[in-house]
Amino acid sequence: MSQKTNSQKYDAVFMETFMVEASELSNLKYQDVIAWDSVGHMSMVAELEDVFDIEMDIDDIIDMTDYKKGKEIILKYGVSL
Amino acid sequence: MKSTNNHDNFYGHVFDIVEIQECQRNRYPMLFIDEIDQVVPGVSARGKKCFSFNEWFFPAHYDDDPNVPGFIQVECLVQTFIMTFLCMNEYRGKKTSFVKMNNVTYRRKIIPGNVLEINATLNRFKRGIASGSVVSNVGGDIACSAEFVVAIPDVLDTFKPK
Repeated sequence: MSQKTNSQKYDAVFMETFMVEASELSNLKYQDVIAWDSVGHMSMVAELEDVFDIEMDIDDIIDMTDYKKGKEIILKYGVSL
Repeated sequence: MKSTNNHDNFYGHVFDIVEIQECQRNRYPMLFIDEIDQVVPGVSARGKKCFSFNEWFFPAHYDDDPNVPGFIQVECLVQTFIMTFLCMNEYRGKKTSFVKMNNVTYRRKIIPGNVLEINATLNRFKRGIASGSVVSNVGGDIACSAEFVVAIPDVLDTFKPK
C-alpha cells in the first residue's frame, strides 16, 4: 500500500474538515464554506498538529487564513510539502 | 463529604445542581445531570442522573414503554464530560458546542426509577477543544458509551483569523 505524501495529508485534512473537493482547495479561505468557522478552524489546526506531529504558535494559527497561506506556515515547522 | 471554596481543587467536593448550573449553561428541560460527585479538573468527572417518571419525555417515548431516548443519554454523557474542564475558574460558565462524536454505543434500556452513573475522561484539552471518552452504567451494567470532541466557542474566537 502506498503511503500518502505530506502534501496529500495536508489536502486530506482540509477536505475532511471542511467537506470540500480537491478542486476547491487552491482558492479556499476562512469562512468560504460553512464548515470553516472558528470551530472548524481549530479542528483543522488540531488535525494538522496530529498528522504532522507539530505544535503551532498562536500567531500562526491566527495567520492561517487560507489553504495556500497554511502551506507556507506548515513549512516553518519543518514539514516539507 | 467536605466541601472546598477553592474551585480548582475539588478533592471530596460534590457539585449539586446549583453549582452544576454555575459551571455549565444547560438548563431545564435540557439539563441532564443531577450531581457531580467526583471531579479531577482537566482529567475526569463522575456524574449522576436520576430518572423519574416525571421526566418530560417519558409520556412521548413511549406511553406503553417509557424509556430514555438515545439523544438524552448522549446529553447525560456529554454534560458530565464538559464538567471536566468547565469546573475550572478559567472556563466556568462558558457555552460549549459539539464538534464530533464517535462510537456511540447503547447497551441497555433506561427506564423510570433508574439511576445513571456517568464516568467521563478528558484525554486532551487544548485551545478550547476538548476530546475524551465517557461510559455510563445503571447498577454496574454498562448503559451507553461515546467519544466526544467539544469546543468552547469563546476560546476558539481568540484564535480565529482576523
